[in-house]
Amino acid sequence: MLALEVRHLHKKYADFQLKDVSFQLEKGYIMGFIGANGAGKTTTIKSILNMIRVDSGEIRVLGKNIAEHEMELKQDIGCAFGDIDFYTRSKIKTLTAITKKFYKNWSDDVYYSYLRRFKLDENKKIAELSRGMKVKYSLALALSHGAKLLILDEPTSGLDPVSRDDLLGVFQQLIMDGEISILFSTHITSDLEKCADFITFIQDGRIVASAEKNDLLESYRLLSGSEKQLHEVKERLISYKINSFGFTGLIHTSDFDHSSDIHAAAPSLEEIMIYFAKKEDVYV
Amino acid sequence: MYNLVMKDLKLGISPWFLALPLFTGALMLIPGWVYFLVPMYFCFITVPNMFGGFKSQHDLLFSTMMPVTKKDIVKARFAVIVVLELLHLLIAMIFGAFTLRLYPNLTYIFFAPHPGFWGLCFVMLAIFNLILLPMYYKTAYKYGAATTVSSTAAILFALAVQWAGIRIAALNDIFYGPGTENTGLQLSILLAGVLVFTAFTLIAYRVSARRFLKVEII
Repeated sequence: MLALEVRHLHKKYADFQLKDVSFQLEKGYIMGFIGANGAGKTTTIKSILNMIRVDSGEIRVLGKNIAEHEMELKQDIGCAFGDIDFYTRSKIKTLTAITKKFYKNWSDDVYYSYLRRFKLDENKKIAELSRGMKVKYSLALALSHGAKLLILDEPTSGLDPVSRDDLLGVFQQLIMDGEISILFSTHITSDLEKCADFITFIQDGRIVASAEKNDLLESYRLLSGSEKQLHEVKERLISYKINSFGFTGLIHTSDFDHSSDIHAAAPSLEEIMIYFAKKEDVYV
Repeated sequence: MYNLVMKDLKLGISPWFLALPLFTGALMLIPGWVYFLVPMYFCFITVPNMFGGFKSQHDLLFSTMMPVTKKDIVKARFAVIVVLELLHLLIAMIFGAFTLRLYPNLTYIFFAPHPGFWGLCFVMLAIFNLILLPMYYKTAYKYGAATTVSSTAAILFALAVQWAGIRIAALNDIFYGPGTENTGLQLSILLAGVLVFTAFTLIAYRVSARRFLKVEII
């Protein structure tokens, strides 16, 4: 079953547009949603949450259209915006007391179990929490109302490596029973290499790739060679950089002649992102 | 909607603004003062501070993350504003009743706090709501221009009716002369003011809700 399905999403602003954004997330998996700043990650996420009116396209959560079943589906969605805090001068227990009234499946037992697990003191004010603890508090709220789909916008941005690793471990534990799915946007690609099952890569408002993580990594090759070798593959490269040793460039695996003596290696997600961004620069 | 109202009252609004009507209402005890200013403090102090708080605490995003309709978000905010306005007016009316008894022989330059005057205050707040809220809900976060224009409109209304009450004989009779003794007439003006307040606020709600449906939470 699909936890999330985004189909042919279009949204036009004066200086930016989402163009035919489509991807799907299966239930019980983590999808990393990557892209540079301004690529369209938050716009897509806000479209999923029906906070933005899309020009066309369809978004289905747990099999139902969000535009038609928004109230019902928001009972099953938990979200966190990594860089936005709410009512920071209020205590956790005050914010929780207000929030829980909105959810019919709220469980105090589950809530307190997550507070203990995340070592959250409900007498602390939101402003007193570290960024990682704030994300954990958002997760505790979401899980206490039985959210099946967690939509997290840059939850690890601004976190130190230890807190990030801790949070990624939490994400992996959450999906273990197959009931919860996570869509997790970030530009810190190393986070996704650790925990994501699927990757959706957005660039300039357009989905470049959406696939199982290893398939995505396998579908590209990072080439390095001399300047002379560059001329052999230049036309087929997505983009390339010239350096003192020759060149490095990204190519679709299907476009690469494996009998060639150009050195080819599996790229990281970060390298894929960088070379796609470089491609845009070339066209600009 | 009830949960949204409670969210505003418990999280969004400082308790000070629930206590403020007691302090502004007490200003009614100043003999012969410009009593129009008393409900205006709601426009000058409470509204910009309250809306500024909603903006700085990202209330719009917080509310839209909850399983509630956009219409309910607007409806709840209207309910909170109307409750606060009524609190300001009702407490001021109670203090005003004391004022009339404390200073029975005072010569008023500005309107005395008779029931008819409160009818005018209801109309003033009706105009304030009609301008403030539809302007605010074009974005649901920009409140500066909306507060300025609506407060200016409320002041102009107060100045106009005050001038008319002094200079136009028929109105002078109602608010300064024998009309003040006519309880039926005074209550009729109060009732008319309440009806205008209700009608204008309902119109403001309809326009605001329609505008808010188009607002994108960015």
